Amino acid sequence: MRFLKITKNDWARGVEGLKDSFRVFGPVLERSHFNFRPLEKGQEPDFSFRNTRLSPKSTVYPQSEILFTYTLDKSRPDHHVHKEPPRDETPRAILGIRPCDAKAFGLVKLNFDTPEYKDPYWLSAYEATTLVGLACDEPCSACFCTSAGSGPFDEAGLDVLLKDEGDHYLVKVLTEKGGKLVSAAGWAGEASGAEKAFVDGAAVAAEKITSFVSADKLAGKVTNQLHNAKFWDDVAFSCINCGTCTFLCPTCWCFDIQDEVAGTDGVRMKNWDSCMFPLFTLHGTGHNPRGQKTDRVRQRFMHKLKYFVDRYDKGIMCVGCGRCVQHCPVNIDIRRVCEIMNEYEPEPETCPA
Amino acid sequence: MTEYTQKIREIAKKLLSEGKVDVVIGFREGTVPLMAEPCLVSDPAGVDQLVFNSFCGVNLANYLPRRKDRIAVVAKGCDSRNMAQHIAENQINRDQLVIIGAPCTRMMDRRKVAAAVDGKDITSVAEADGRLTVTGPGFEKVLDRESVLQDNCAICVHVNPVLSDEMLADPLPEQEKDRYTDIREVEAMTPGERYAHFEELLSGCIRCYACRNACPLCYCPTCFVDESKPQWVGKSIDPTDTLTFHFLRAFHCAGRCTDCGACERACPVGINVRQFTKKLEKDCKELFDWEAGMSPDVRPPLDTFRPDDPGKFIK
Amino acid sequence: MGIDPGRLHFSWISSAEATKFVDVATKVIEEVKALGPADRFVKEKAQVA
Ligand code: SF4
Ligand code: SF4
Ligand code: SF4
Ligand code: SF4
Repeated sequence: MRFLKITKNDWARGVEGLKDSFRVFGPVLERSHFNFRPLEKGQEPDFSFRNTRLSPKSTVYPQSEILFTYTLDKSRPDHHVHKEPPRDETPRAILGIRPCDAKAFGLVKLNFDTPEYKDPYWLSAYEATTLVGLACDEPCSACFCTSAGSGPFDEAGLDVLLKDEGDHYLVKVLTEKGGKLVSAAGWAGEASGAEKAFVDGAAVAAEKITSFVSADKLAGKVTNQLHNAKFWDDVAFSCINCGTCTFLCPTCWCFDIQDEVAGTDGVRMKNWDSCMFPLFTLHGTGHNPRGQKTDRVRQRFMHKLKYFVDRYDKGIMCVGCGRCVQHCPVNIDIRRVCEIMNEYEPEPETCPA
Repeated sequence: MTEYTQKIREIAKKLLSEGKVDVVIGFREGTVPLMAEPCLVSDPAGVDQLVFNSFCGVNLANYLPRRKDRIAVVAKGCDSRNMAQHIAENQINRDQLVIIGAPCTRMMDRRKVAAAVDGKDITSVAEADGRLTVTGPGFEKVLDRESVLQDNCAICVHVNPVLSDEMLADPLPEQEKDRYTDIREVEAMTPGERYAHFEELLSGCIRCYACRNACPLCYCPTCFVDESKPQWVGKSIDPTDTLTFHFLRAFHCAGRCTDCGACERACPVGINVRQFTKKLEKDCKELFDWEAGMSPDVRPPLDTFRPDDPGKFIK
Repeated sequence: MGIDPGRLHFSWISSAEATKFVDVATKVIEEVKALGPADRFVKEKAQVA
């Protein structure tokens, strides 16, 4: 493990230098909030953010992505051929990603990189990406990362971790990829003894987390009992089935494939989809197995807090970033729902007397 | 506002225990500051979760269509207008409803409050005498209520419910207000500038449809953007498709929109979606002297033909 | 909406007014052609990543 100490000037110079060999993404202020965007020459990532409104998942998993184009025009030699658009294979660097969001990439990878199936689009982008995390010294009140398998100094998904020390950053190089990025940026200046700063910083930040979920009993629940529990109608009542929670979430991975044809030319693309949309499960026959709002709300929480837990044995499919908690327009709070699910005891079976 | 909470609970309890309604739709305390969650209570023992405060911006008329039961529902001025609109459009029967009218002291915008404290983490808020005290780690700030109202609430001229069976307080004075300064600015643009303005306005839209789904008017079983046979609009974030969604939605709401602000409030990325609906709301006011939802007995102007309808645009 | 006013026409034509329909349609086509190709609300191929 290498530790470096770099001044903020070194940082700024390094970031500029990186842009020669990397596509660099960082938090940028848009309207009232921050989002991760590609940084132009001369543009610095703005680290005054607490967390970005949208998660950084779009840096490797764009909301809309063209898979291939085609033409049905027989007069053209390449008709009926799938042509992949040129892909930008340049290495990418995401600067200032929060540890929870980086951890989320690891959870999403479980879905896009399995022994049987690999999603080439997601995977190639992910592999080209170096994640430079910014430790959270001031976690927000809606963050519950420490009880969602992550934490303000979590290194799990990161290649590099930065700690802001006012006039300089302490840099912890975590992987080989991270090492390469640090050299490309020209950051040197070993900082022996910085280890302690990270350990202490992690402890102080974890102390500041005020919000928690209990998920310890979820694995032990019987899926069908949880599925049929009576509380779902109350949980779902206020939901308006928008895609806010799933689109903002760093761990939501669902997409839909669409063909768009104009004349004889077409594109096939992949768009984020959401289990909260009725269209998500609508069959060609018109039947919808999740036809009611409650079915859809239940699916979201069952997937994140039960099916995922059982299938991968890697905890819940949530890193506690708090986005859905803060931005759901009707205040449906995953912490509350997790609590209800975790504490749920099946209604005793009653026989008619 | 606490008096409202008290009265809502009393009324809800009475209606439920006397069997006058099956359910009460109101708000419960939010799990985060500056929020309240719509909720449904069917057991008189559950009425104590009901609250009313300055963050009850969700339009509860949205929860009425297709319900078959007898419902008591809390209604601000705008909510009641959307309820009247629902009744006119046969989405709910008047006799199914017991409307608990709340003369509205105008709702606060949680994003403006957040901006007023430079995006700092807010852990609690307290409201008293027209002021909002906002606290978080290491700070406390007192804000003037007027400075953090929802945009639509600041210009609202119908804070009093137009329909009600119970009232939580005496009607409040209504303000006189020029409601359309922002729209006139857009009207003054050239077509090219206007297009650029709308493109810029929607540049961050993620097509989550929170705006549409928060709107009580958007009750269509299948929205035109969700149709696939034929598919009218693409589903990606292509700018032309996104613009098409917003324009068409606005036109579908023409003459029906009450400017309740539910759409704008719901947008997770802070897009001023009322820029679209409000132009049509203004046109309806100016061309037809029409304000939506003022009576459950009159059909909206774009639904009816009158020989004296303005027709200057026809050549 | 940002559409050129010249591209939008409204006319009241009865089903009995065939010649008026022809006249109006011809005039509209000429006027729109004179404006050249539209560059707003035109989607050739989705502008996405
Ligand atoms: S839980 Fe909230 S954010 Fe998610 S779909 Fe329902 S209303 Fe939208
Ligand atoms: S479910 Fe909510 S809190 Fe959990 S990772 Fe997703 S957006 Fe964040
Ligand atoms: S369009 Fe917006 S302002 Fe108008 S009624 Fe719907 S939610 Fe309210
Ligand atoms: S709520 Fe906002 S982001 Fe979502 S579709 Fe509407 S304008 Fe777009």
